[in-house]
Amino acid sequence: MGSLTCANFTLLTALAILLQITGLSLFVFGFFPIKPALSGVSGPESFRPPSCDSTEAQNHTDLHPDQLKSLYQKLSEIPPSYDRLILMVIDGLPAEFVLGRDDQPPSKILKDSMPYTQSLLANKMALGYHAKAAPPTVTLPRLKAMTTGSIGGFLDVLFNFNTQALLEDNIIGQLFRIGWKMVMLGDETWLKLFPGLFTRHDGVSSFFVKDTVQVDHNVSRHLSYELYHSDWNLLLLRVNLIVARQLYIASTLEFSTISFQILHYLGLDHVGHLGGRNSVMMGPKLQEMDDIIKLIHSSTIKSQERDHTRTLLVVVSDHGMQGNGNHGGSSYEETDSLALFIGPGISHVSATYDTISQVDITPTLALLFGVPIPKNNAGYLIADLFHPIGDHQLLRAMELNSWQLLRLLQAKATDSTCGSLKDESSSLYLDAAALHGSWKSKNVLRSASNNDLKSTVLAYNEFLRTASNQLSRRATDKPIGLLALGVMTMLLSCVMFLGLLFKLGQEFYPNIQTHKFHLPEALVGGIIVIIVLSMGSSSLVEEEQYLWHFMTSTFFLVLLHKTIKSATGNVTSQLFLVAVILISGRILKGWHQGGVNWTHLPDISKSLEICGSPCIKPLQIISMFLVISLCLYTLSSLRSRGNIVILIGLSYLSTGLLVLRYVIKYQGDGSGTSGNDAILAVQLIYGIIITSVTVTVIASPWFMYFQSKDLVLVIKDSLYLSGTTYMFGWCLLQHLLQQPVNSMVISLILVQIIATIYHASRGGSDVKQWVEIAAIYYLGMAGHFSLGNTNTLATIDVAGAFIGISSHSTVLSGVIMFVITYASPMLALLGLVMSISVRANNTILKIHEVNTGEVLKTILGFPCLVPLGLNSVLLVAYTIILLVMRNHLFIWTVFSPKYIYVVVTTICVLVGVLIVASTVTYIILTAVFLRKKSAS
Amino acid sequence: MKNNQKNNKGTAAADGVRNQSPSKLLLLSHFICGIGIVLSFWLAINVFSISLIKNPVETLRLLWLIEVPVVILIYSFFRKDKNQSSYLKAVARGLLGLPVGAVVNALGAIALGAPVGSRYFLRTLNWSLLMSAFTFVPAASVYGSSWVDWHRIFAHTKPIGFIDYMICIPAYGAVIGGWFGAWPMPLDWERPWQEWPICVTYGALIGYFIGMLASFSFVVHVSRQHKNWKIIIYVCTWS
Repeated sequence: MGSLTCANFTLLTALAILLQITGLSLFVFGFFPIKPALSGVSGPESFRPPSCDSTEAQNHTDLHPDQLKSLYQKLSEIPPSYDRLILMVIDGLPAEFVLGRDDQPPSKILKDSMPYTQSLLANKMALGYHAKAAPPTVTLPRLKAMTTGSIGGFLDVLFNFNTQALLEDNIIGQLFRIGWKMVMLGDETWLKLFPGLFTRHDGVSSFFVKDTVQVDHNVSRHLSYELYHSDWNLLLLRVNLIVARQLYIASTLEFSTISFQILHYLGLDHVGHLGGRNSVMMGPKLQEMDDIIKLIHSSTIKSQERDHTRTLLVVVSDHGMQGNGNHGGSSYEETDSLALFIGPGISHVSATYDTISQVDITPTLALLFGVPIPKNNAGYLIADLFHPIGDHQLLRAMELNSWQLLRLLQAKATDSTCGSLKDESSSLYLDAAALHGSWKSKNVLRSASNNDLKSTVLAYNEFLRTASNQLSRRATDKPIGLLALGVMTMLLSCVMFLGLLFKLGQEFYPNIQTHKFHLPEALVGGIIVIIVLSMGSSSLVEEEQYLWHFMTSTFFLVLLHKTIKSATGNVTSQLFLVAVILISGRILKGWHQGGVNWTHLPDISKSLEICGSPCIKPLQIISMFLVISLCLYTLSSLRSRGNIVILIGLSYLSTGLLVLRYVIKYQGDGSGTSGNDAILAVQLIYGIIITSVTVTVIASPWFMYFQSKDLVLVIKDSLYLSGTTYMFGWCLLQHLLQQPVNSMVISLILVQIIATIYHASRGGSDVKQWVEIAAIYYLGMAGHFSLGNTNTLATIDVAGAFIGISSHSTVLSGVIMFVITYASPMLALLGLVMSISVRANNTILKIHEVNTGEVLKTILGFPCLVPLGLNSVLLVAYTIILLVMRNHLFIWTVFSPKYIYVVVTTICVLVGVLIVASTVTYIILTAVFLRKKSAS
Repeated sequence: MKNNQKNNKGTAAADGVRNQSPSKLLLLSHFICGIGIVLSFWLAINVFSISLIKNPVETLRLLWLIEVPVVILIYSFFRKDKNQSSYLKAVARGLLGLPVGAVVNALGAIALGAPVGSRYFLRTLNWSLLMSAFTFVPAASVYGSSWVDWHRIFAHTKPIGFIDYMICIPAYGAVIGGWFGAWPMPLDWERPWQEWPICVTYGALIGYFIGMLASFSFVVHVSRQHKNWKIIIYVCTWS
């Protein structure tokens, strides 16, 4: 076996990376299909029983909206119960706050915050439900679920930041088609979701989370305007009390009395993101919400008295929130969203608040307002809301709902043998239809008893529930070919990475007997094997942070053991370094309890939060000084010290002080970070950090060239300088972006990584390079969880993604969110540049002085391949596990979110390796070029 | 060899030690150590009616209170420098090694993620004392402060002679067993034994027993291979 040249080596690595990306994209798009929804919209055919011929769809689009409306009314046989609808969507309000939990009323503070709503509930003028939201509990998929009645695909989460028009059949579109005019104020999400449907609107981006104060004037003006146009005559309202943006859709049809409003009330979710579930801001927020409900309700009463328009006010929340205000997962707190119906016909029937599914809102509204149920709806009607109407109409409504569900079931059945569905639900439907038929014939003869009605209703309910459940379950048929191809491609790339690693190992350590057992080296492989094996267990996926900490600590304990054993050189300082790593690791482990099952246990971050800013601020300052002094120390150990190094040190010092000033001045006191000068300060710091890092890295070989003529020294020092720059620039950025409690975590991870690099550099050849790089990678992964990240989507710091952004930008906030979430793995990867510099000793560089390619291969081989290889093993293993677990109960709540993290980690590793490789290549090539120039 | 015999006018027990074959001696001492653990469990259940799961602190205390004297008394017979130190001195060394070993074990456990805090203090204390009895105390009794021997056994893991095996393999067994015993802790089975340090203790005990078994079979295996093994052992341990 000949040794690979640098060019071949690079080509193979690039090919493997390309294969990995291709396989990953194939798999992701195969596994998370953009939900196969039925195209087209429900029309008049939905009022006829489903039949087999597909030609039933007739073209009614050319009908005038009024004609269509009367046609629907005639066909449906149900007179609309209400004339207009006000839909108020409250972002992130848990139903628990309004309805209480487990038949217990909500706490007194919460009750007192919403006096009007509570009185409506107590006086049986409103019907409240716990509406179960399906995970992921993120706004966009929930809005889609509420308007289309279908449970959104998992990838909707990713599109939450890239809203697209909702093309599926939905209730808003149905209402639009029968000539409703709609007006909307507030959230841009709705505008993008339903472009062109609103007569008037005032969109504000919902993703600008930090600001809860600014837009209220705007909204209040519009609200008053809309109320005036609707002749509601309620100008006494003080809407400028509303400390939030709201989406508000009011429809006024000039010659009819139908109107339709959507209020998307975002403040609560934002307060939750900023302050958590028990935030002091929550009470006033609820109060304001209550005021709005009061305002609207009294206006609807007035309008009813004046011109007999019956208005239904529906207050819904898209999802709940966890104790810390985050959401996205599937815990009770997150999925417990509210559905509150307030209207003239409502009479409270039961004492307890039932649990419905969020998608049930769609068919209920469609049937109440006499429009066809959206085609993809999987929900079933809430029967209590139909109570004032006659038995005939109730059964008719159930029948319509059943037909729609049956159509959907037939369409989704793989074998399109129409009408011969032999499964449970269709037989249930036949039963119900038969009972309904007999009830009808008896009703004509006026001999129908109450029992007949009840049994018919029961039969329909049975079918509706079964069909709804069946539809809610995900479509399990996946494009197996595509998935297999994706997995095979990823497997191939993984094998290539490992093969290259093996080859490199053989070239580097040809003399080492392979049979000799080295515990640290075995452990590096063992850790990966154990992590891979543990990923099959849902509880170990949830509690992954224990695993990483346990394995990393074990590795460093073994290293401690090895250090004692070697007993050469400066053992005490080596022991000290490992001890520092272990102690920092233990503190990091205690910082965030993390995970899912033991999050309630006390940890350092919780006690800091309780203590408040008197504890957090000093810690932030200490951590900042720790980072700056570490930075200056590492710079001072540079061999060629010159004015330029001092200059760089000073620039870091000043940037650090700027960050510190920002931290002291703006962080911690509520809405301080959204001010104009705060944003300016952050943007200034971004600019300084990016500029100084770029300039230092690009100029470092030139600086060093002027300092010394020794090529080895130039390369070594420029690499060292660049590595230091990367790490400290990144740490300063993190101090700015991370939550205040996490600033110390970043410093400790930095300490660990630097200690590892120093330990390896002093241990000489005792610790092989690939072992050191793997250790740094593991430290990065363990640190990822120490920052409070978990494998649920709920812990992503959404609020942090808007620091220093003055206008809404999906790309920028996405990048900042990535920077915050992957702070630790990225820091570890950036640390590799420094590790390379410390490793690069004279012999390696001198031997290959003539051949730049060989130098590059020697220096860059392991630092690039080890993270890529380790990550590709994890990626492939987890892909296979996901495929195996595709029918597991927790596939959408545990395994899929974890997979998204794995995919983003892959991106992180690719980006990090790219940075490392390009920096090192640039420095070496420039240094060699400069030397050649001076020689000639 | 001559020198050894000349100087070795110690106790009758020492004569007994010398006259036995090493594998039998090893089996006997391991057997007594094992009996100590079994006895303390029996006492815990039948006399004090406590169990490791329900009363971890009390049971662990009982375990080490019985196991420590047993281990010290047995291993002091095998003390390395018989000509210089008396049996009592070896016992004292073992007693001194107990807290030191406990600190080392506790630090190791905490580094690996054992909970800290007043709630867990007694549990960690008693657990680490028990672990010390498995790992540190025998070595302290036998080797005293001989750094070379400690280094050979615990850093290089190169035991020579049956006493080295007898100390080293069960100690490693207990540590590795405890390490594996920590694995069920993050699982969401909601069993009471998943609490610190119950499953770790079970793991350590199982590892200790396996270690004793392994060291015995190892010594038997090696002494069958080398007929003159006995002499080698004596040279190694007493010279």
